[in-house]
Amino acid sequence: MKVYLDNNATTRMAPEVLDSMLPFLTERYGNPSSFHSFGSDVMEEIESSRERVARLIGASPEEIVFTSGGTESDNAAIMGAVALNPLRPGLLVSTVEHPAVLRTAEVLEERGFPVSFADVLPDGTLDLESCSRQLSETTGIVSVMMANNETGVIMPVGEAAEMAREAGCLFHSDAVQAVGKIPVDVGSMGLDLLSLSGHKFHGPKGVGALYVRRGVELPPLIAGGHQENGMRGGTYNVPGIVGLGMAAELALEGLSGEKARCSGLLEKLEKGVLSSCPGSVLLGGKAPRLPNTCTVLFRGVESEAVMTLLDIQGICVSSGSACSTGSTAPSHVLTAMGVDPRDAVTAIRFSLSRYTSEREIDHVLQELPPIIRKLRELSPYAD
Amino acid sequence: MWKYSEKLMDHFMNPRNSGQLPDPDGHSEVGSPQCGDAMTLDIRVDEQDRISDIRFMTFGCAGAIAAASALTEIARGKTLDEALSISNDEIIDFLGGMPEEKYHCSVMGHEALEGAVDDFRVRRDRVLRHLEQILAEPPAELAGAVSGAGPEVVHVHPSRASIRFSDGSVRGIGDLLGKELSRRTGRSIAVEVVE
Repeated sequence: MKVYLDNNATTRMAPEVLDSMLPFLTERYGNPSSFHSFGSDVMEEIESSRERVARLIGASPEEIVFTSGGTESDNAAIMGAVALNPLRPGLLVSTVEHPAVLRTAEVLEERGFPVSFADVLPDGTLDLESCSRQLSETTGIVSVMMANNETGVIMPVGEAAEMAREAGCLFHSDAVQAVGKIPVDVGSMGLDLLSLSGHKFHGPKGVGALYVRRGVELPPLIAGGHQENGMRGGTYNVPGIVGLGMAAELALEGLSGEKARCSGLLEKLEKGVLSSCPGSVLLGGKAPRLPNTCTVLFRGVESEAVMTLLDIQGICVSSGSACSTGSTAPSHVLTAMGVDPRDAVTAIRFSLSRYTSEREIDHVLQELPPIIRKLRELSPYAD
Repeated sequence: MWKYSEKLMDHFMNPRNSGQLPDPDGHSEVGSPQCGDAMTLDIRVDEQDRISDIRFMTFGCAGAIAAASALTEIARGKTLDEALSISNDEIIDFLGGMPEEKYHCSVMGHEALEGAVDDFRVRRDRVLRHLEQILAEPPAELAGAVSGAGPEVVHVHPSRASIRFSDGSVRGIGDLLGKELSRRTGRSIAVEVVE
């Protein structure tokens, strides 16, 4: 039996999404920028997709720029924002951001931009006081993720955005893990920029979007064409964009009922794991979390050994770290939360989706406890 | 998933010689600062300086667990010096190969073995030191039996020792010597007088 609980890595594409894309991979291959109607008719589909994506996050269609995905959106938002105002070249990010943001911050720092980091509290949420302390007159943009990819902890982006606005800087949120899973409204949250990715909510890979609030004049992401209002040159990724639109539509429909179902399964999984696996600790258990994500420490057993045995049982999960090239560092997210490095390497992330079945959860609850017990018997740290 | 050999997976899933030895002759605890792995190793050593029993505990990935299991299989029955010469390549070959990125996992086993052998030798030297001291300056209750007969140490081990008198006599003082040695070392040590 195959059990896929790694939906924060990527999700299965919805069949409706595939159906919506197929015509554009076959007979409707026209270029939306063409004069003739065979091509220009396709532009209507692009714009309809733009509307769907905008609706999912409470934006206006003209505020949506299609990109190749979350990483591009993060790069473009941050790189663009720090260049907007020479008096405010500073970047402030949380310590638990995705590498798409953290690496971008490091690159900017190497180029001489002032970069600072806001801490998180032990429950994984942003430390707003730390954020406030780090804000300065030279800060141009604050970037805080909406929900953490490893722990699923939801960040107080509304409060952080307000803080940024009062300090006179822009606010970006990497919402790649949040969009499609929890309601997102750029207006009420006060966001200037937001990144989202299609394949994290049952859309296709290689397509995402950047929300740019009206009035924020980012430089073009890619020069060389008139597409996306000159913001991002290059022929439209038509099938991807259409698929993203359909995925956004489905996500919006599913946000109420599906969310409850998913969190019900997650709760069953968490309770089952914690009660049957010795040494297990739920991370961010008291913080608001995505309805699909939990990360559990299995103290005393290294995650890779657990994942290897789970893999044999057909169970796909993930960990924050991997023992690979001899330079394995425990997850920066977990260590930022104050988790001991020796415990951080025992973390396993389970991430569910709308396609997760109760049978899958039952299978995990049957296979996992003996694996943990077996490995703990071998462990010098099992006490 | 890493591409692990069948043999490596077998040693990971069915590790040989895992656990701990009660009152081991040599014990070590090592960790790899590179990836947080950790390992303990216990050895039992016989009169011929051979590893007669060996047990490990590992906190680590599949590669680290399999490498530790392999090491114990290779080391068991070897003399201490032979065991110390076991190379990482030997462990990797034994397991039918290993992804290159995982080579560092096998290094820990060697370090653990060195640690356990060192520990054994330190413990043994300590017993020897105390035993020689007792024989050179025997306490009152032993002085009569020991003096003048040129006792020599035949064999010393962390938990036992044997001595011989130059006249070949067995003077029935093994128990007394053992008690004195145990008192001084804080470890239970049996002493045998051989002909």
